[in-house]
Amino acid sequence: MLFDSPAFFLFLIPVVFLYWRMNHRAQNIFLLLASYFFYGWWDWRFLALMIASTTVDFLIAQKIAPDRLNPHRRKWFVFSLVLNFTILGIFKYFDFFAGSFAGMLNNLGLHNIPLPLIRIILPPGISFYTFQEVAYIVDVYKGRIEASRSFFDYGLFISLFAHLIAGPIQRPGHLLPQTQKERTFDPDRFFDGLMLIFSGLIRKCIIADNCALLVNAAFGGQLGPPNLWVVLIGTYGFAWQVYGDFSGYSDIARGCAQLLGFHFMVNFRQPFLAHRLQDFWRRWHISLSTWLRDYLYTPLGGSRFGEWKTARNLFVTMVLAGLWHGANWTFVIFGAIHGIVLPVDRFFFPTKTKQASDTVATRPTGFFTLWAQRILTFNILCLSLAFFRATSLHSAVEFLAGLSNFAWRPEYASAFFMLCLFSVPLFLADLHLEATGQEYPFANASYPFRTALGACALVALALFSGSNLNAFVYFQF
Amino acid sequence: MPSSISSSRHPAIIYAKVLFGVCLALIVSFEFLSDYLLKHHSETYTRVSRQYADALQVRPAKPGEPMSVLMVGNSLLMEGIDVDRLQKLTSSQLHIHPIFLEATGYYDWLYALQRLFREGSRPQVVVLGVGVNSFLSNGVRQDYAPLLFFDLKDAANVASDLNLDNTAKSNLLLAHSSVFWDTRSVIRMQILRHTVPHCRRLFLLLKPQSATPPPPEFAAIANPRLQKLRELCAAYGAKLIILVPPTPSSEDAVHQMTLAARRAGVETLVPVDPAVLSAHYYQPDEIHLNSEGAAIFTVALARYLPRQLAHESMVSPN
Repeated sequence: MLFDSPAFFLFLIPVVFLYWRMNHRAQNIFLLLASYFFYGWWDWRFLALMIASTTVDFLIAQKIAPDRLNPHRRKWFVFSLVLNFTILGIFKYFDFFAGSFAGMLNNLGLHNIPLPLIRIILPPGISFYTFQEVAYIVDVYKGRIEASRSFFDYGLFISLFAHLIAGPIQRPGHLLPQTQKERTFDPDRFFDGLMLIFSGLIRKCIIADNCALLVNAAFGGQLGPPNLWVVLIGTYGFAWQVYGDFSGYSDIARGCAQLLGFHFMVNFRQPFLAHRLQDFWRRWHISLSTWLRDYLYTPLGGSRFGEWKTARNLFVTMVLAGLWHGANWTFVIFGAIHGIVLPVDRFFFPTKTKQASDTVATRPTGFFTLWAQRILTFNILCLSLAFFRATSLHSAVEFLAGLSNFAWRPEYASAFFMLCLFSVPLFLADLHLEATGQEYPFANASYPFRTALGACALVALALFSGSNLNAFVYFQF
Repeated sequence: MPSSISSSRHPAIIYAKVLFGVCLALIVSFEFLSDYLLKHHSETYTRVSRQYADALQVRPAKPGEPMSVLMVGNSLLMEGIDVDRLQKLTSSQLHIHPIFLEATGYYDWLYALQRLFREGSRPQVVVLGVGVNSFLSNGVRQDYAPLLFFDLKDAANVASDLNLDNTAKSNLLLAHSSVFWDTRSVIRMQILRHTVPHCRRLFLLLKPQSATPPPPEFAAIANPRLQKLRELCAAYGAKLIILVPPTPSSEDAVHQMTLAARRAGVETLVPVDPAVLSAHYYQPDEIHLNSEGAAIFTVALARYLPRQLAHESMVSPN
């Protein structure tokens, strides 16, 4: 069920209505069943996998808490990690690595060596719920949280439909206690939830889907052979598309959570206003970048052992972050670009250190310096996004090679106009949010004003969201 | 204890209810407004619904009357055929009833023909011309087609044929049931056309172009489709002809289509060899014929279609 489809709202409205008429225990069971229905709407077969995975981790967690004094707790912990990453590896990466290995053998002159390919469809959201399960197991093992005694509470933490398919990746310490405690109805947060849903729909259906038209044409070759203008339309357009798409999804997810009395972490904080790449990762897909920081970068040593090891840790983390996005070398290169630029960035622009694992990029004070850095950061990002969007390394390189060609067609002016038409409003909204620190535009305005704003959003959606439904970009991860 | 919504007089709740009510009212208004705009201002809807109604009245010709021909296709025929001229050139032998809807393909017309036959249309000949790539594509037009060509059961069957997931299936069913949902992309296009300079030219470029599949895959897709269409037409006493309009560099695709049709026992008609037409005869989008190309195609069609049908009637006992 896509968040921007009528079917989802036919699901959401009765769920919210019935949910608030139940007691806490019934709420959790009801929401868990509703979430399973939501997930099974795609494919019931994958539901069994998710329930099995959830159940195994729930049972293992009972054995590995430090207070259990179980002599085998470390073995159970390792078993759980291996199991989770094996499931993810088989479904997401097996064919990729098998195919790459076959390609390597082919290059070495060893032809026609049969390698098994399983050709399984990727279960929706597997990367997201696996990361939540791993975080839970690690936190229980380290004694940061207690193992949940109720399967329904834990199951809901993993499967709550609002975050199930594409995050935000919820941390056990944040969401699990919310499933365990009785939730109180907060009218203000409920209204904010509605507004976040409108904000998300605008970002996804108007900005992302319209930019996608241009991006698909640029990368698909309909705008002609790659040249400077096509590359600019393609990469800038994709930057706004993927931002509108994913931040829109996150807003709808957070809005839905608030309708149900939950609170999800903020996942995007005006990422294109970042003045450094390091700053960008503090604003973009925050739930993933903080997960990687806490469960990969810091355990690797973080920035505690000198510049070289910090650079190595950053590189490893970013390459794996790239690979997390998809089983393709294009994502590895995307991660590698960030893994190289981030240490270089740290070297030339040292950061203030609050803690070993938490450094803060110093914001430049001058207006022109700040904007020059923002523009530079945005363009480095766009360059890496060419790899993120391209279907193969070859096509990404071929696409970027067009930068040296300046052939102009009159249609490009229309394409740039259309790109500005849909990206500038989001850019202005981001400037407003950056200045005010609000969650969505006009979040502090009066209720009548925001009600009118919601109605205007619906009219805008009716007028501009006509492209055929595109799945959210991050659903494929 | 149920978690009661005890604060129903809180302004947030009052305005949430107001917002919900306004949204409902707006959705109902969009539906009525779209219905009005569609029926009073949409050239496409007016044209296709008129053509569809006309096609429903088609009956087999009586002795001495021109043969009844239902000609269906997408923009390749709409731009490539001067229907009035074709009618004039063939009036003694054929009575042509066209239905042309842009961006349609095999599935659109399979279900449209099924519905037309079911509702009583009885042409003697069905000419289908959508171009090779549209014939092989897996999809249906998301606007107009669900509203004009499918009933609810058809929409469900289309979704099943296309292996659509539940979300896409529900959207298709909704497009059949709601004028607003069906036409929202048309509304957006109209707004963009007035907002973005030279939008039409840009959008011609933005259309995704599919490549013709290699021969084994081509046959695997085309053969069952051709057979299904042939059986459908035969069940209602109509003869099927696949008309292949020219598109640039489509010689190989046309050849493959002809072979596939021959294997499926379906006649093809290629009035103009694509290799003969230079870029001069195409529109700037390099897909559709321009007026000069259309004139050549129309005359060729007027010459070869009656000839092919006459030849068939001479060799066939029917």
